[in-house]
Amino acid sequence: MRKSILAAGAIVVAAGLAFTGCSAGGGGGGDSSNKVLTIGMPNGPQAPNQNPLATGSASLSLGYAYVVYESLMQINELHPTDEPTPWLAESVEWNDDSTQAIITARDGVKWSDGEDFTADDIAYSIQLRKDTPELNIDFPDQYGDISVDGNQVTVDFTTSQYVNRDKLYKLLIVPEHIWADVDPVQFTDDEMIGTGPYLLDQFTPQSVTMKPNPGYWGGQPKVGTLRYDTFNDNNGLTTALTTGEAQWGWTFIPDYENTFIAKDPEHFHQVAGGGFGVDVLYLNNETKPFDDPAFRQALNLVVDRAEISEKAGYGVWPQISNVTGLPQPSGDAYIAPEFDGAELEVDVDGAKQLLTDAGYTWDASDKLVDPDGTAVTFTLTNPAGWSDYLSALDIIKAGAEELGATATVEPAVQDTWFNDIIPFGNFQATLHWTDGGSTPWNLYSNIMDGASYVPLGETANWNFGRYQNDAVTQALAAFKGASDDATRAEAMQVIQDAFVNDAPGLVIWSRPAVAQYSTVNYTGFPSEDDPYANPQPTGPQAALILSKLEPTK
Amino acid sequence: MRFIGRRLVFYVITLWAAVTINFFIPRLMPGDPVKALIAKNQGRISTDAMDSLYALFGLDEQVPLWQQYLDYWKTLLSGDLGTSFAYFPTPVSDLINQALPWTVGLVGVATIISFLIGTLIGTGIGWRRGTWADSLLPISTFFSAVPYFWLALIAIFVFSVTLGWFPASGSYDRSLVPGWSWEFVGSVIYYGTLPALTIVISSIAGWILGMRNMVVTVSSEDYVTVAQAKGLSERAVRTGYAARNAVLPQVSSFALSLGFIVGGTLIMEMVFSYQGIGFMLFNAVNAKDYPLMQGCFLVITLAVLVANILADFVYAALDPRTRQEG
Repeated sequence: MRKSILAAGAIVVAAGLAFTGCSAGGGGGGDSSNKVLTIGMPNGPQAPNQNPLATGSASLSLGYAYVVYESLMQINELHPTDEPTPWLAESVEWNDDSTQAIITARDGVKWSDGEDFTADDIAYSIQLRKDTPELNIDFPDQYGDISVDGNQVTVDFTTSQYVNRDKLYKLLIVPEHIWADVDPVQFTDDEMIGTGPYLLDQFTPQSVTMKPNPGYWGGQPKVGTLRYDTFNDNNGLTTALTTGEAQWGWTFIPDYENTFIAKDPEHFHQVAGGGFGVDVLYLNNETKPFDDPAFRQALNLVVDRAEISEKAGYGVWPQISNVTGLPQPSGDAYIAPEFDGAELEVDVDGAKQLLTDAGYTWDASDKLVDPDGTAVTFTLTNPAGWSDYLSALDIIKAGAEELGATATVEPAVQDTWFNDIIPFGNFQATLHWTDGGSTPWNLYSNIMDGASYVPLGETANWNFGRYQNDAVTQALAAFKGASDDATRAEAMQVIQDAFVNDAPGLVIWSRPAVAQYSTVNYTGFPSEDDPYANPQPTGPQAALILSKLEPTK
Repeated sequence: MRFIGRRLVFYVITLWAAVTINFFIPRLMPGDPVKALIAKNQGRISTDAMDSLYALFGLDEQVPLWQQYLDYWKTLLSGDLGTSFAYFPTPVSDLINQALPWTVGLVGVATIISFLIGTLIGTGIGWRRGTWADSLLPISTFFSAVPYFWLALIAIFVFSVTLGWFPASGSYDRSLVPGWSWEFVGSVIYYGTLPALTIVISSIAGWILGMRNMVVTVSSEDYVTVAQAKGLSERAVRTGYAARNAVLPQVSSFALSLGFIVGGTLIMEMVFSYQGIGFMLFNAVNAKDYPLMQGCFLVITLAVLVANILADFVYAALDPRTRQEG
């Protein structure tokens, strides 16, 4: 494993050097292949809005914003602790407590209309978000002063941003000389003047084509034409991917081995990127039976995560195996030493022993009875139609029954689940995702942060299970605001101890960025052997991936 | 004249009620667009973004409902349907302009074809009742009794997947640029054939049945007997006397079915991934996109109303008895 990380790092650095070389030498002069690379998205017909900052615009929804506009740095979500790769910024230096970032702008970059790209553009792009709350989705109310000195931009933040560093790296930069004169919220950006490898060629509601940017600082891309096709739903995209009509995209394909890969095993691939997104079985820590840590622990021991990942997740969602609930390999660097190698395993006898020790008994018909003398029953709830969640709940139910507890799976109406069940804690157990983030902070905070605790019946934003533990709350705050790695490691230790021993919620599977692609026309996509970036086309990493694609002969 | 006046007052009141209901229903629905968006992305849009999204959609200010209602009428009367959330910041009217022609074009043509063929067949069967032609009736009724989505899926399986004659989804070849070129128009027709065919097959039974029964009734009328006694040709009696009188109820139900073209095509659009207004409405409901929902509802309501007015007046013009008062 170690070796492949190094190898990936070396490639990334080499690529970075190659780009600097190219821009200094005045264009790589490479030829673009005439093969079209078609990217598919299941997002329905689009309206002609290319605004790269407004959530929901066609360019963000299909992803072509990311090949016209570029980010400051490239990060590899699989190995979040690696140093980011310089992109539009030569470097980003943070102060110790992550409240100030100094960004150095790359030299020799031009906007596609011929104007020079400067540090002022970076400062403007960040100031724009500060001044326009509608577009400030990453750092709401958190920007301080933004100033420019030569080719350096200094950005102050009002709070520590250690856990949000990636969000700054991923900000798309827009040209000041165009955006300064328009209303940035309503602007539809018909021409798309960016620094990226592609230019907008033609927009139709179902298909957008892009052509190479001849003046690109990273050298002319090998992919001659990019086409973004939009399909009405997942089925449409799945068909297009399996017929080769679309060659890159992401959709949940149940039984993907047979449905997709088997159609052309040599060229069709599905790869999972990294990240910290997981799905969690939230347990209501304030009502029976989950107000008893012993029962939560016992349930944790009988949930068959391998079966859930295989059957309910069709193998698309990787299994969680470490007891800390962290997805691997992204989380490897954060696993506390004592839990390193501690695997989650189904252990019915161990669970029964735990329950016996806590005073549980079994009645004549082997039903579990709690210390108060009542039979243990609970309901598992999720929106009807979310079939992967509901199948997972069925497997959890089967696990609970091995303990003698009676569980029922109850589908709810989606809107009811969102508005009444989840926020008010009107459930005993329910599956819900967590925010991704670039550290495990979001994962743990979303499950067990006392800072988001509200009593049952009031609207909770996170911590739906109402877990309260002051040590954890303090540790989460310490991790976020710490200025050195030692403090963070100490905090993570406290958090993971509580997570493992208290089982406030059960992490079920990880939800990484997954993508499908075909290597019939182009090779060089991120793969399992060379996971150099998040493999999806809809993110700033698209510019990096496109720089590595080579046409097949 | 009084007849027209009374009908108009009735339609104005209906329109007011429709717009009002149209305004309130989406607001009474649970859920809001920002949560729907976050849910759709399941962890990919951080919850930190919520405030910014409320501001982006203009939902950050608490405006009382009655004020919103007045504002809605104000913008509506100035011809503005608002801005969509799901496709921010595209105006709703642009989105409807983009989707409506597809639905009206495809379903409209299919409905007209279905009406014409159905009426012709119905006349024929009704005129020669008791012959082998009667067996057409149960066959066509069978197709209309099969759930439409099932019929459409079978059609896709047989004609697209197995035989490969028609594309399985979409409304035109994606690589073409929409425009009035032969290539593009041809592509639209090619992609539209299979959906149109399924609509015709599943709806033709109603037209055949209606026409056949009226022809049967009419053909025993005295004026038909007189026409035959005059020695007119069989064909002249059939078209000039029987069919002409029998077609009246067909015309009014045709006008009504025109109104339902706009609203009744969701399933077709979903099965065939056709870019029409039904699918757009479906997306709008999923995304809790109130302005787009209201825009779609409004167009559907107007279409039904206009079709009703048309049916009313056409019928009144064709049949003087409906104009009589008292």
